[in-house]
Order: sequence, then structure tokens, then C-alpha cells
Amino acid sequence: MSDFEKKPGVYLCEGCGISEAIDMDELEEDVTGGFDFSVSHCRRAASFCTGEGMEQLKKDVAGGEVNQAIIAGCSPRVMTREFDEVGAQIIRANLREQVIWTQPAGTEDTLMFAKDNVRMAMAQAENSTPPTPHESTMVSCKLLVVGGGVTGLSAALEAAKTGAEVVLVEKSDHLGGWAAKWSKVSPHRPPYRGLQDNPVPGLIAEVEANDAITVKTDTIVTSTGGMPGKFTVKTTNAGGEDEWDVFGAIVVATGWRPYDTAKLEYLGFGKNDDIITDIEFEELAANGGIKRKSDGKAPEIAAFIITSDPDIMPYSSGVSSVVAIKQAQMLVDANPDAMAYVIYEELRAHGTTEDFYREAQEKGVIFQKGTVKSVGDDLAITVEDDLLGQEVSMTGLDMIVLTTGMVPNSTNPDIEASDKGNSQLKDDINPTASFAKPGLEVLTQNDDEGEPAQPGGPLLNLQYRQGPHIPVLANGFTDSHYICFPYETRRTGIYTCGPVRRAMTIGEAREDAQGAVLKAIQSMRASEESSAVHPRAGDLSFPKFGLDICTKCRRCTVECPFGAIDEDEQDYPILNPTRCRRCGTCMGACPVRTISFDNYSPVMVSEMIGAVEMPDEFEEKPRILVFACENDAYPALDMAGINRQQMNSMMRFIPVRCLGSVTLLWISTALEKGYDGVMLMGCKSGDDYQCHFVKGSAMATERMAKVGETLQSLMLEEERVKVEEVSIADSSRITGLLNDFGTEIEGIGLNPFKM
Amino acid sequence: MTAQLPETASRKYDLKFARWVRDNVYGGGKMNMCMQCGTCSGSCPNGVEMDVGPRKLFMMVRAGMKDEVLRSSTLWECTSCYRCVVRCPRGVPVTYIVQGLAAVAAREGYAPKIENASFARAFWWSANTFGKTDERLVTMKYFFSFGFLEGIRKSLANLKIALGMVKAGRMHIGMPHKIRDSKGLQAMLKKAQEIEAREG
Repeated sequence: MSDFEKKPGVYLCEGCGISEAIDMDELEEDVTGGFDFSVSHCRRAASFCTGEGMEQLKKDVAGGEVNQAIIAGCSPRVMTREFDEVGAQIIRANLREQVIWTQPAGTEDTLMFAKDNVRMAMAQAENSTPPTPHESTMVSCKLLVVGGGVTGLSAALEAAKTGAEVVLVEKSDHLGGWAAKWSKVSPHRPPYRGLQDNPVPGLIAEVEANDAITVKTDTIVTSTGGMPGKFTVKTTNAGGEDEWDVFGAIVVATGWRPYDTAKLEYLGFGKNDDIITDIEFEELAANGGIKRKSDGKAPEIAAFIITSDPDIMPYSSGVSSVVAIKQAQMLVDANPDAMAYVIYEELRAHGTTEDFYREAQEKGVIFQKGTVKSVGDDLAITVEDDLLGQEVSMTGLDMIVLTTGMVPNSTNPDIEASDKGNSQLKDDINPTASFAKPGLEVLTQNDDEGEPAQPGGPLLNLQYRQGPHIPVLANGFTDSHYICFPYETRRTGIYTCGPVRRAMTIGEAREDAQGAVLKAIQSMRASEESSAVHPRAGDLSFPKFGLDICTKCRRCTVECPFGAIDEDEQDYPILNPTRCRRCGTCMGACPVRTISFDNYSPVMVSEMIGAVEMPDEFEEKPRILVFACENDAYPALDMAGINRQQMNSMMRFIPVRCLGSVTLLWISTALEKGYDGVMLMGCKSGDDYQCHFVKGSAMATERMAKVGETLQSLMLEEERVKVEEVSIADSSRITGLLNDFGTEIEGIGLNPFKM
Repeated sequence: MTAQLPETASRKYDLKFARWVRDNVYGGGKMNMCMQCGTCSGSCPNGVEMDVGPRKLFMMVRAGMKDEVLRSSTLWECTSCYRCVVRCPRGVPVTYIVQGLAAVAAREGYAPKIENASFARAFWWSANTFGKTDERLVTMKYFFSFGFLEGIRKSLANLKIALGMVKAGRMHIGMPHKIRDSKGLQAMLKKAQEIEAREG
């Protein structure tokens, strides 16, 4: 940090109507005279993103006069590519979207807003340096694929096609998984209408013939340590032989298993040999044709019941529907005189399977919507028919096929659950949950609901501070984020695909494998460059720990959403840099503020807070500080500006990487400096969180709940600090929130600490 | 329409009826494409008169409720406006199927006392016999299909209209008009029945 000699230059853009709304002379005077942070230049131009302004900027940088360019103009979210090419550290002051587009032109308040934004940018420059990347940890670009089903096979092939070396680990003694058992599959390539041949045997042959893929059957992963770029993985085969290897990234494609058929007893399973599951139907079809188990006759009339009982399974996937459509077609294809009834509560023919559904209708399959009330020993079904509005009974059936749901293999059911508790699977989005502490005492946590969400041992047995499991989200699926980040898990460099992520068909699973492989390759490239992965892709900064004042409180290691920080033998935090996603949650957690990034630190933001010119109490101009998450809240604010929504002039905005990085120091600094209110704007928290770093906003809410007491002890009102959850689409709501908070603060009155 | 209805028909749930309709009723093959959206029932200008709309009627066919389907007034309330056929998003020829089912109901004796069925019979008798419809004979045959007394009562109730029509020249008195080549018509109809018997 110290060997970077700062040569800052300020560039005041006059384009896009800025010069018409703001007195640029006064602004320039403020920059050159009002600060003890001296700048090499303060230039003005009609635009800096293009033309002469850009030429000037490039000349200054090339000539060595400027290495920190503070550009006051448009939002930091636009023109990033243009300015990145300049070659200096770029710091932006948002005058366009935030100031002139939300405030009336030419007023004193608007000018003050603009001045403050430039001052904050200068304070930011003064207290940051261009990030120097950590030492490369890259050891291997080999890819580990766990699971040899259709997803794993596709992933291995896709990776091999990109030139990567692949090791494919399969638990059983053969490749193919469940999908290998099907005689016919739902359409996975055009035309998406009738039954298609099973692609799995072809995939197996392709994998076995590929020199870049090493297949290990009868093998499971028994230990995984390290980080992206150098995962050290122990595999153990059925003979008990261990093998160690190093991988760049891991793709988990452990697939699914059918759920316990004992749960289907209420639909008559077990009462009659001819009431079978969809799996048994496939086995019949593959071994000598569809025949009744009882007498070996081909069924004339069969009912396919799509089970969707929330007590058995909380979700009903489209796959169950597709399977029923497929098997009904198989029956009619084999015997055109046969009648196939599909009884459903919810029929979901998603994506291209709509055509598959029509094909079934055209073949004469009859779809009936209703709830199955009872299934008798004699194959008589009573259905509460929703479309007829009455109870009807079906007799004369030869066969009843029940669909079973897909249970994700997010754990390995063949091995014992670890004593560290399965609750870790779910609890890592909960800011107050405690975690197992390897090397220290083991905290076994009993699941509140009694039965663990996913029985079984860990898939990869991660040697992470946060426990051995890949965390799951809803219903045991190893998802990380509902909307934005498919394939990602909350363990960097480990990507899941296929039915372990969500229930899916063969065609979808193959596409999913492609996606996960591409993410894994991206992650390996990022490790090579020592940069962060999504959502801060390309970020070279990383958290640095000032161990001289570290109190070994372990809050950073516990609260890291990605398990990036371990404890060394002396309990000091030690970073696994490529696991880190640079959210700064550790920085927000640290009670002694000794964690910082080169270009983002507690000091830097504190100085930015202080850089704002605070009107004295007689001016009666309140100031409200808004920490806006740069992932969703900040873009929404920009959007409000683009829509020219007017806001009150008392707000001052500081973008933060994630609300998780907001330290309480900033809140107290703001209130001491005389701000009248502080608002934190982040993403949605909870089970359906939209936080880009899993639990940053949940952590912030948790921390702010504790700030109330501190405020009270200072004789300040609790209402002065507020946390709001906004989404990127909330631009119209966001101005209302801010204006309401402004009114609320005006009602409370000015901060008594004002000078 | 010569194929035999499945024998198992009764109040019980008959799984074979749907297949029979599919194979034997004109347009029945398309009935499986129905996705129960109800556009047909919603579009039907005469829907309020029907005991079940076409959507539900189709669901009843699928459920195998043969008796209920063939006894429903839906079959006879259809005015063949074809609005449902035009609007069906799945291309189901609703009107044709309803008419086909009506023919089955008439043939199988499911609709002896339904007014519209009686009228249809009288109309067809006239067309078949004379090659034309004769207002007086069609009406008389229709009125007296409800019994002698009912026939007299219905005739008297409509006498004023009849006289008005005669006065206006809309109805003639005398022998019924016939087409010239009545024999040719009979031969044509016979041939049509032959083709239907052969091809179903």
C-alpha cells in the first residue's frame, strides 16, 4: 500500500446537463480550495467519456501526472469500460443520476449535494489505493466431477471438450445413474414431441473413450480441503484405498433418489401387485415390455397418478408430470388400443414439454384433474374431479402407476450423518445460528423439526470452518440463490448441476451440466488471476487482516458466508483467498476494525462520511446518510434518477459492497458528525433471500438490532437508524422510502450532536 | 354412425366411452386436445339454456359418463353458430362433436321427449320425404309428437301466427311442394348411408 505514490486528478464533467444544473465554477473552487488533499489537476470538459476530455484524461495518465482519476459525472455503473481503459485508479462521483436528475436545477441545495459527492469521492481517493492481487494459489486446472449419471457424464464431456482434464467419481460400480435404466426418455432434442432414445449409453461410451476423462467407479470423496485452484481431495474406493489429488474446481452432479415408497401407502401402494411406482414401470418396460406383475398380461386400461401431497413432499415438480406423460405415451405406443388416464392435481408441462403433452393428447391419453380420494385393493379409484365438480369412481383398471418425487442427493444417504449436525445444511443463512467448530468444541445442533432435512453424510466432506456439507436452500436442494446465480453453491469453486440443484429432466440436466462446467472454468481462470468470481468478477482486492490488534474473537471466521476464513493453530484468522468473494462481511463483523481491503476499508468510509459539509443547527438542513448496497439498491437509486423522480435534498449516499460490510463504527461516526439519520438499503433477507452474498443483509439487520441500545445510551432516538430491503426493480418505491424517512427525521428533530 | 356403443354403459364410470367417442363421433379424435379452458362454454350464446356447457360435457365424455352425456340438453340446445369452433385455442371442432353426440343420443333412444330432438326428427322427415321443408307438415308433426291432445293445444295456440303467415304469403294452402327429382334425392341419401356404414 505504501509504495503507491498518489497523484490524484479531479475531472469535472459538464456534459449531460450537469453544467446547466450546477454552478461549475463554485464546484471547482470547492475542489481546489476547500480541501487539504491536494490534487494535481482539476479539469473541466464537455465530456470525459469521449472526445477531447477523454484524450486529456489519457494524456494526463500516460504522462505520469495522474494515477488516481476522480471523475465527477455519471453514475459509477455506466461508462465503466471506457474509464477502465484509462489505466489509472478510477473513482467516480455521481453527479448525473443522483444529483441533477433528482434535484431541481440551479438551487443552493443541489450545489451542496454535488459538492458533497465530489468531496466524498476525494476522501475515497485519499484513503484507497489500487488493489494489489494476492499471490496466486493456482496449482491445478483439473476438474473433479462427482456423480456419474447423465449430468455428471455430460459435465465431464463438456469440460473435456474445452481441453480440461477431468476426473469423474461415481459411487456405484457403473456409470449411468438412474437415467440409464429408462428404455425411452422424454424429448431432449427437436422435435420435442414423442418419445426419444435414451442418450445415456452413448454418453457412457463417449466418456469411456475420452482420454482426458479418468473414471473412478465404486469411489466416493472422503475429504476436500483447500480452495479453488487447489482443492486437495481424498477419494476412497470400495476396497478402502485412499487416493489424494489436487483439483482446480469441483462440479457436483450427485443427482436424485426416489422418495420412500412407504409414503405412498395411502394411494394403495403395496395393496395390489399392479399398483406400481413409475420406477417399477420403467423396469417393466426395459425388461420384456409393459406387463402386469400379477398375471403377465399387457394392461388395457391404466391410470397414472401424479402424486402431489404437500405432507409427503413440499414441492411438486414438472418432472413428475413429464414422467406421467411419457409413461402414458409408452403404454399407448406399445398397445394402441390401451387407454391411459393421467390423474393430476397439478400438471406442469414446462418449456418444450408442452409439445410432448399435446402429442400425448393426440395419441389419446386422457388427462383428468382431481384429487385421488382412495385407491382400493381391486384397483378402483375414487377421484374428486375438479373439472366436473363431483366425486367419480374409476373401475376396470388393469394397472395403477404412482409417480414418486425426486429427492436431491445433497447428502450421501449411504454414509452416516456426521456428528456435526445436518442442521448446518440449512442454517448457514441464519445469522444467529452457531456452527461446528473444528478443532474446538463440537456444537451439535438439534433440528427443531425433529427429523433432519437430509439424512446422510457429507458429499465432499469439506474441511471447512463452516462444516462438511454443501449448504442447501429450500427443500434440500443445493441452491445458492433463487434468481441470479444458478449452479453456484455457497462454497466458491464448487458448482452443482442436475437434479441435486432442482428436479429436472434429462435434457435440462445436460444443459445444466454445461452451465456448471462453464462456471467451474471461470472460477479456475479467476483463481489463476487472483481475482474474485461472480458477482464481483475481476475484483483484485481481498481482505487483509491486521493481526497485531486481532482479539481472536472469531467473528470473521464464523460470519463469512462462504467459509473463506479458517483459524490457524493460534486461533488467528487465515484467509483462503480464492474462496473469498470480496463482500466484506468479515470487515463489517470485526469489532476492532482490523480487516480492510486496499480500496475499501472502515477508515475510507469513515472519512467519506466526514467529508460531507455538515450544515450547522441554525440552518435547519438535516442530513441523512444512506448506505446503499451496490448490487441492487444503488442501481435502483440510479434508475430513480433516470426516471427523474424527485427526492429531498438531505440524502447523502455511500455505495457499499454488501450490507454485511457495514460496520457499526460508520453508524456511530455518522451520528457523531451530526447526521440526523442513517439508512441501510440492502437486498431481501430470509429463506428466499436476494442478497448477492447470501446473508449480508440478514447480518446487517441483526447487527442494527443491537445498535438501538447504544443509541439510547447516547440519548438518541432508535428511529434514527433504519434498515430497508429493496430490490433492483424498486426504483419507484425507493424515492418514497427516502422521502418518508426524511419526513420522519424532520419530525424527530435535528441531531443534538450537531456542531 | 353404425358402430355399437360399448355395452358396459350404465351409471358407473365407463372408461371405454371416451375411446368410443374418439373413434366413432365426427371430430371426436380432436376432443382429447381440449385443455378445459372453457372458452367454448363462455362463448356459447345459448349456454344459459344448457344443463352443462361444452367444456364440462367433454370432461364428462372423458370421465366416461355416457348416460349423463347422452341425456344432456346441451346436445339439443346447440344452434350451430360455430362461435366455439372459431374461438377454441386448441382447434377442437366443438359444434361437430356436439352434433355427432346428438345423433348418437337420438339413435340410441336417449332423447325421446326432448323438444328440440322431436323438432329435428320432424324437420328431417319432411326434408327426406319431399326434398323440402313444408312449414305446415313440420309443425304439425312436431306438435303431435307430444300426443294428440297436446298437439291440438299447441296447434290452436299457434293458429293466429299461421293465419298471419298465410295472409302474408309466407305459407301456402294446398298440396306440399316437392322437388322435381324426388327419386334422385332418395338414391343420394341411400348412397350417403351406405358410405357412412362402410367408413364409419
